[in-house]
Amino acid sequence: MSSLLVAEWRRMVIDLVRYPLETVSMMVVMFAVFAGMFFGAHYLTAAPISGPNLSGVVIGYTVWTLVMNASGFMGYSIQNETQNGTLEQVMLAPWHTVQIFLVRGVMDILEMLLPVLVVLAALIALSGAKLDWRLLAAVPALMTIITAWGIGLMMAALALLFKRMNQLQLMIQFALLFVIIAPVATIAGAWGHVLGVLAPLSVQVSVLHATLAAAGHGASATLWWEAAADMVLWFVAGYWLLTAADHLARQRGIIGHY
Amino acid sequence: MLAADGLVKRFHSRTGPITAVDHISIAVAAGEVLAFLGPNGAGKTTTIKMVAGLIRPDQGRVVVDGVDVTGRPALAASRLGAVLEGSRNLYWRLTCLENLIYWGTLRRLTPAVARQRAGELLRMVDLEDRQHNSVQTLSRGMQQKLALCQALMHRPQLVLLDEPTLGLDFASAEAIKATVRQLGTEGVAILLTTHQMDVAQQLADRLAIIRAGQLVLTGRTEEVLTRYSRPVWRVTAGEAFSAGQLAAARTLGWPLEQPTPKDLLVTPPEDDPAAIYRLLDVLRPAAIRLVERHQADLAEVFQQVVSGGGEAL
Ligand SMILES: Nc1ncnc2c1ncn2[C@@H]1O[C@H](COP(=O)(O)OP(=O)(O)OP(=O)(O)O)[C@@H](O)[C@H]1O
Ligand SMILES: [Mg+2]
Repeated sequence: MSSLLVAEWRRMVIDLVRYPLETVSMMVVMFAVFAGMFFGAHYLTAAPISGPNLSGVVIGYTVWTLVMNASGFMGYSIQNETQNGTLEQVMLAPWHTVQIFLVRGVMDILEMLLPVLVVLAALIALSGAKLDWRLLAAVPALMTIITAWGIGLMMAALALLFKRMNQLQLMIQFALLFVIIAPVATIAGAWGHVLGVLAPLSVQVSVLHATLAAAGHGASATLWWEAAADMVLWFVAGYWLLTAADHLARQRGIIGHY
Repeated sequence: MLAADGLVKRFHSRTGPITAVDHISIAVAAGEVLAFLGPNGAGKTTTIKMVAGLIRPDQGRVVVDGVDVTGRPALAASRLGAVLEGSRNLYWRLTCLENLIYWGTLRRLTPAVARQRAGELLRMVDLEDRQHNSVQTLSRGMQQKLALCQALMHRPQLVLLDEPTLGLDFASAEAIKATVRQLGTEGVAILLTTHQMDVAQQLADRLAIIRAGQLVLTGRTEEVLTRYSRPVWRVTAGEAFSAGQLAAARTLGWPLEQPTPKDLLVTPPEDDPAAIYRLLDVLRPAAIRLVERHQADLAEVFQQVVSGGGEAL
């Protein structure tokens, strides 16, 4: 596994350094967005730049972009490699297809997260604002990302079989937005509750909110368990689906066809 | 090194099912080059991809260096390298060196070992001075040489080359051919497809010709060429043969043709080693320039086997 990690890590670093304009402009956009959050609230409400609201917005936005990437990148990567004609060589590597694309998904998140951290650190230094966050919040954040990777593996499976799926990808991401914003996990009634728990991401996001809420006493143990179970469910489903799609694509001889 | 047994692959297209590969068995020993030939759509690429594990056979099995490709795909993959048809096989945004290090590391080399091996290979194909150029700036020939290096990074024991010299100029094609020969002497088994019969004839120890998914001919290259050679001699003179010489030659009673005034095609009895001397005797004193026995070249064999009945195996 380590040489796969090393290979993909190096490729990511080369990509970041090779196209500095892309990297820099990405960071400028991020800076603008976060600066809007830091200073915007201040001008609107004349409240001090800090506090739980700011933290909630910043962390919420960051997790949201990470979720979009985690759920979209692997499918995008497969479409891209198919178009460029490199997918077959990648699939010839001595690794399970899921391993390869999962590692790529991890590298993509790192590629995104590292600049975010730099930009946030710069903004905190500039504005003197204080972000309210706890180390414990990293756990539900990671659970959210892992769940999103599960969905990413499913999208990768679709990309492997159907090649072109940009529209579908947009629709799925829109659905995710809905699931995250709507408090699905708190739907009344036993069945509604089960449904909410089965829906991806919403339970993990609830735990994240509860953990971040300054005055709160964190998420209940039940919520934690539900979030964990939901994460495992979606991740395993993604793993299984991509494995099946890999099998089917080799069966039909369509790996690398465009 | 490679044993493929009874491979069958059917595809379902809009026009109905196609049997792309129909019970094909091929074997390539270590150090041997097998040229896999056939017209467009014969099933060459499908077979190569089945060997590589990119397509799963409906029937039959592929064993690479004792490892079953379907059963243990990762292990089998680590023992073979491939340059696939048409696909670019490389990342265009990365440089030559970065590409080789990436593909090497992906196949379990450490970056340091990969770097060293990449240097070796770039030197071998004469791309050292291009190592820091991105692939998109290379010519077609250079890209193909680099694709071959990519396939060789992890020192595979079996190398699959699907049309490796397609669209290359003389020098680039020679470089690829030289590399293939070199690999052969190092004990690597090579399976290659090509539509260029001269390339196949120069490189292949053995031939396998397929048509419509079925093997129609296999054998050692020299044996096949000899088998398809006819016992016809061509005698070429510096000037036209005279009527007298022609008449004298006819007295021998052998089939004779005169395709041009300066050329005679004669078929003497095969069991008479002195026959050709008798022919030259009666032609005396014509200014003979060239005497040669017909030697089939692969293009002729291919033409006959593919268009004619061939001998279905
Ligand atoms: N994934 C696929 N789905 C449907 N049909 C396919 C698929 N792949 C190949 N075929 C069909 O299988 C047959 C064999 O194709 P293949 O690519 O193996 O031929 P080939 O010998 O490599 O030809 P060429 O010399 O043109 O490269 C063709 O009729 C082709 O249309
Ligand atoms: Mg082909």
